[in-house]
Amino acid sequence: MIVCVSVVGHQNNPLYLQSFTEEDDALKLHHVVHCSLDVIDERVNNPKKTGSTLNETFLGLLYPTENYKVYGYLTNTKVKFILVTTDVDVRDADMRNFFRRFHSAYVDAVSNPFHVPGKKITSRSFAERVSTIVKSFGLGGAV
Amino acid sequence: MGREVSESCVDNLIIEMVSAYCNRFYESKPDLAARRIEAIGYQVGLQLSERYTMERPRFTDHLEAIKFICKDFWSEVFKKQIDNLKTNHRGTFVLQDNRFRWLTRMSVDTNQTNTDSSLDTAENKETQSASMHLYFPCGIIRGALTSLGIPCAVSADMSNLPACSFVVRIKG
Repeated sequence: MIVCVSVVGHQNNPLYLQSFTEEDDALKLHHVVHCSLDVIDERVNNPKKTGSTLNETFLGLLYPTENYKVYGYLTNTKVKFILVTTDVDVRDADMRNFFRRFHSAYVDAVSNPFHVPGKKITSRSFAERVSTIVKSFGLGGAV
Repeated sequence: MGREVSESCVDNLIIEMVSAYCNRFYESKPDLAARRIEAIGYQVGLQLSERYTMERPRFTDHLEAIKFICKDFWSEVFKKQIDNLKTNHRGTFVLQDNRFRWLTRMSVDTNQTNTDSSLDTAENKETQSASMHLYFPCGIIRGALTSLGIPCAVSADMSNLPACSFVVRIKG
């Protein structure tokens, strides 16, 4: 199950953060997302270590914690998407597919002329679209 | 599925925007009008580059990003590529378009039945109004490159009308 997705701007400023858990652990998830930013920086600045992921937007598994796995995606415009999930084994293809759909939702949201670049995304339709994508990801995994 | 946009509508919109800023809002301050128009282009560039770079690997250096602007970005926006790209390898790039789409329908009225001195000013005025139309594409380029992580300044040069060149100076 995806427990949290977030969008982080090019100056590591949070643009959007949404958790999908019943419990009151939003703060913990924020923390996990925050920690992953360093991992992304490291991956992007030391591409030698990661080898094959060179220049790909999908960064793969950033790091596993006790309860969560954190995946990352970095767009050409230096915007980071971070996903926190509790699923133990996730297929790479599913994850790529998720990020692709998430990216197009993001692009549509920032193309809104009323959106101010660099500010938080407050669009309700973006939030709805994200939760649809998140829900369908769960289904895709089950089938 | 690609959605279509009427080209003449876009043309009219841009012409109207430029004329509104130059002749209505900031009639006596062409510099301010130019800045406003450039700023609109900047936001458009930010958003377009977000969309057009969606399905591609990240760029490794400046040249690659500039090439993207010349090829893919330009063909998406203007249905043709930049004709010539020059660089001094020190952060300055000149993008030349021999037939810039937004200038193809612009005419310079040289048939003025005025005295010589006023003909000069009339021509000057035409050049000025044509160059006003180039602030918007300048802003688009600057916005696109900035969102790709390349802060820069863009200016435009007009040689003979449908041809024009954009000079990109990368900062830092």
